[in-house]
Amino acid sequence: MNALRVVIAVLSVGTVSVAGIYLAAWVDLLVGRAVAGLEVRPLDALIAPLRWGAATALKARTTTERPDAETWALAPALLAALAAVGLAAVPLAPGLLAADVANGIVLFGAAMALVVVAVFLQGWSPNSPLPMIGGYRFIAEGLSYEIPLAVVLIAAALPARSLAIAPIVTSQEHLWNIVRQPLGLPLYLMAGLGLAFWGPLALPGGQDLAGGSSLETSGVSRILWRLAQLLVLVAVAAMGAAVFLGGWLGPLFPGAAWMIVKTVILLVPLIATRHFVARVPTERYVVVSWAILIPLSLLDVFIAGIQALVAAR
Amino acid sequence: MILNVTFWAFSALAVFSGWRVFRADSMVRAAYWLLVSFAAVGIILVLLRAEFLGLILILMMGGEMTIMAVFMVAFMMNPAGLNPMTMVHRNSVAIVAGVVSFLAVAALGLFARFPVARAPEGVDPTRKLGVELLGNSMLVFQTAGVTLLAAMIAAIAISSARGRYGDADQGSVEPDQMVTAPAGDVAAAAAHDPAPVTSPGAHQ
Amino acid sequence: MGVKAALARLAAGAPARCFAVVGAEADEIAPWLRLDPELAIVDSPRAADVLLVLGRLDDEMLRAAAGVHDAMPPPRGVLSWSPRGERPVSWPPGGERPVSWPFTDDVRVDDPAQIPAACRRLRDELLSGRRASSPDTLPDIDPAPWRGVGPFGQGGAGMTGGVPYGRPLAARADDRDGLKLDQILVRVGPYLPPFPSGLVLDVKIQGDVIQEVSIPTPAAVAPDLMSAGAPSLTGERALFNAALTQPVPVADIEVARARHHLVWLAEALRVSGLEAYGRRVLKLARTMRPEAAEPVDDLSRWLRRNMSLRWGTRGVGMVSASRAAALPGGPVARAAGDGRDARSLDPAYGRLGFTPVVLEVGDALARWRVRIDEAQQALALAQRAGQSLTTPIGLVEGPCGPIGGDRSTSAALVTMLPELLVGMEWGDAVTTVVSLDIDMAEAALPHDAAVAGRAS
Repeated sequence: MNALRVVIAVLSVGTVSVAGIYLAAWVDLLVGRAVAGLEVRPLDALIAPLRWGAATALKARTTTERPDAETWALAPALLAALAAVGLAAVPLAPGLLAADVANGIVLFGAAMALVVVAVFLQGWSPNSPLPMIGGYRFIAEGLSYEIPLAVVLIAAALPARSLAIAPIVTSQEHLWNIVRQPLGLPLYLMAGLGLAFWGPLALPGGQDLAGGSSLETSGVSRILWRLAQLLVLVAVAAMGAAVFLGGWLGPLFPGAAWMIVKTVILLVPLIATRHFVARVPTERYVVVSWAILIPLSLLDVFIAGIQALVAAR
Repeated sequence: MILNVTFWAFSALAVFSGWRVFRADSMVRAAYWLLVSFAAVGIILVLLRAEFLGLILILMMGGEMTIMAVFMVAFMMNPAGLNPMTMVHRNSVAIVAGVVSFLAVAALGLFARFPVARAPEGVDPTRKLGVELLGNSMLVFQTAGVTLLAAMIAAIAISSARGRYGDADQGSVEPDQMVTAPAGDVAAAAAHDPAPVTSPGAHQ
Repeated sequence: MGVKAALARLAAGAPARCFAVVGAEADEIAPWLRLDPELAIVDSPRAADVLLVLGRLDDEMLRAAAGVHDAMPPPRGVLSWSPRGERPVSWPPGGERPVSWPFTDDVRVDDPAQIPAACRRLRDELLSGRRASSPDTLPDIDPAPWRGVGPFGQGGAGMTGGVPYGRPLAARADDRDGLKLDQILVRVGPYLPPFPSGLVLDVKIQGDVIQEVSIPTPAAVAPDLMSAGAPSLTGERALFNAALTQPVPVADIEVARARHHLVWLAEALRVSGLEAYGRRVLKLARTMRPEAAEPVDDLSRWLRRNMSLRWGTRGVGMVSASRAAALPGGPVARAAGDGRDARSLDPAYGRLGFTPVVLEVGDALARWRVRIDEAQQALALAQRAGQSLTTPIGLVEGPCGPIGGDRSTSAALVTMLPELLVGMEWGDAVTTVVSLDIDMAEAALPHDAAVAGRAS
């Protein structure tokens, strides 16, 4: 592997991470203000995340009674690292791929599966009951997110006959996966919302737990947790753009520009659901996921399989 | 060169974290040290060009260790090691068994004849693995897998809605603690809770 | 310290994050603080810069407030407001001395309209270092020393047992399948944000399922409005109480009712995750008028169509018809099929063609619907009423239940909580408590105070 290409790829992942996080925070503020009936003031909303960060950074880091200090410090860093690994699995342009493994889908799936570990540690470490409940909830729902995610990604991999992302993108040259596998993207986005515990699935940190797993964090850890959460959303949107919306394919403009546009097209609705859809209770979502979403994802795989069979003749 | 350094580094991590599993007082930490050990082994598998196996190992062990941690928190009274505890039983037997198995596996590692050649280029390990494991019965395994999943979901759905003492969403209570009332009437369940709050309106 | 100064200047543009400790007589002020763009009311003291102590607090509430204060990470400050300008303490009848005010350098504000600006100023001074952070009020020591007796330093025999540092480890208790799993005892304190301020519950929780609920002191944790030197009632409470003995314009009462329900709805939406929409509803509560009732109709329509809200509340917190009959009345009873409404007894309402809003189901969704429909109905009544007055019949239908009877609805709801919440998941329990709209000040009143004329 060309060392220079690796360096460029890693730098591009870093840039996309920072830009994506900032865009996500900005869009969240804009949509929130619009729904609340306040004046939107986009320029002020651009600086507001920095202001929030400055105000939070000036606070001391708290400690609770007998926390598990190492895992508490580790949890936000772990979440951020996993999100970065997930983003690194996405090719940002033809040939620009930081994690060039032959099984990009599996790498993304593994990174997302370990998100459960990070959220549980964030909930368990402070030795406090409400964050602990937040951690429990995420574990209870973990499989309900991961199984549909894995199955629809496999369905998208079928036409490409490969688990690597770049072939999946090139296999969409004639038809995007969102068209030939219509069930895939909605299921994927729901699972992605859950893994980022955002909006309707913000169960570990919901208002009914008064902040839940981040109830006891303050200072820089709080900022890092929030950044990591937004980065998970960005990684989900980027992978969705690559796998369902044709990635870098598109006329006229360079591949990277199309990739950015498509990621933003997926990121904005993901962010906006927070202000339009109420939080779904744990038990109801688990029932819906196992009784409806998983069968739908299996149906998605069957459809993809039939299409592959027909195409092979 | 880089390959060798990486291999030795992750091997050392796997052994170290395996040792830490038994020295940690906190059960959650023990579970996650074990996860670190498995993850290190997974990285080594990736180095051996068995990328699929390595990543699947990490993916599965993440979920499994978390479930182990939660079960320990649920069943133990002292999961975080706030109360120091001893993690070993029958110490002498365990030491002997440990040393013997280490020597056996080390002998295997040193004296078995492993292939020395590099894996050939252009080979798709995932495909080869699939063909090797499932052969001509791929459709059978796939349908069996889906059937098993459906059976598991059905079993949980049937058994979890009703606990031993009643329906889950009606706050089921043990029968001997309910006072002659039909199972759905939560008002009678007040009899089992000697609540310090007594008020004229509570028992109507 | 260039970096700190730069950060402080940047942070000065952000809203001041406050944790609100709400005591008696502050309920006219507290809900509207969320509307102010200079303030951000946060859910957790760990995220707050300023502790807002509003209203009158008694000993227990002050002790709890001191604990909340110490949980705030430095730099932190305290801002206090009380209705008549004195230190916001009250004391129980009998004249025992109040516990001393725990905060040494709090900023006192006399005019509630100045609270946001004063908060902002305090926060800026704290972050830039011009003002010292408020010191700890409670000693930072373990409740009990820890000395293990076993060979490995553990407390009891074998591997388990003991009470390390004064905190009991999780007990094990049966769950519904006969397994023995961890169960912890948690005191859900007076200031947990989704719960009404002043509600204290001792909850035995297993995982996230509530197994047992008890109320440590019988609903008197909220400050007692009838204590020595009790002031006159203000605002909405004064209006409804005045209607007990003298005629009051129907329009005023109904607009106050609608406003109360909308403020409740804003908080309920916030707890359901729709924070921005809750803020929109709060703004509507402030600006609505009976002549321009379309925004409320739009809101009602939007809520009916929103499926995600239905998911969170349908089938949750069932109040059976028999239990509803035990309540004095109110929206909770009407949502369970019990059609009692004090307004039905008033001929003035009869002339306006009033019928109570009744639903049969008794779950949280029904309670949401009843309140929204009552708000709409209240505005329509206010518009039709013109100048007509209520007839004082000794019973007034307040927004939470009838006032002037022998029991307050909120007190009955609080005593109903232990049985209602058992077996629920935490999220469902919070949804239930929010949907009951318990007025803690009303719950704390001794029952004979309700019939005595209280406005002085």
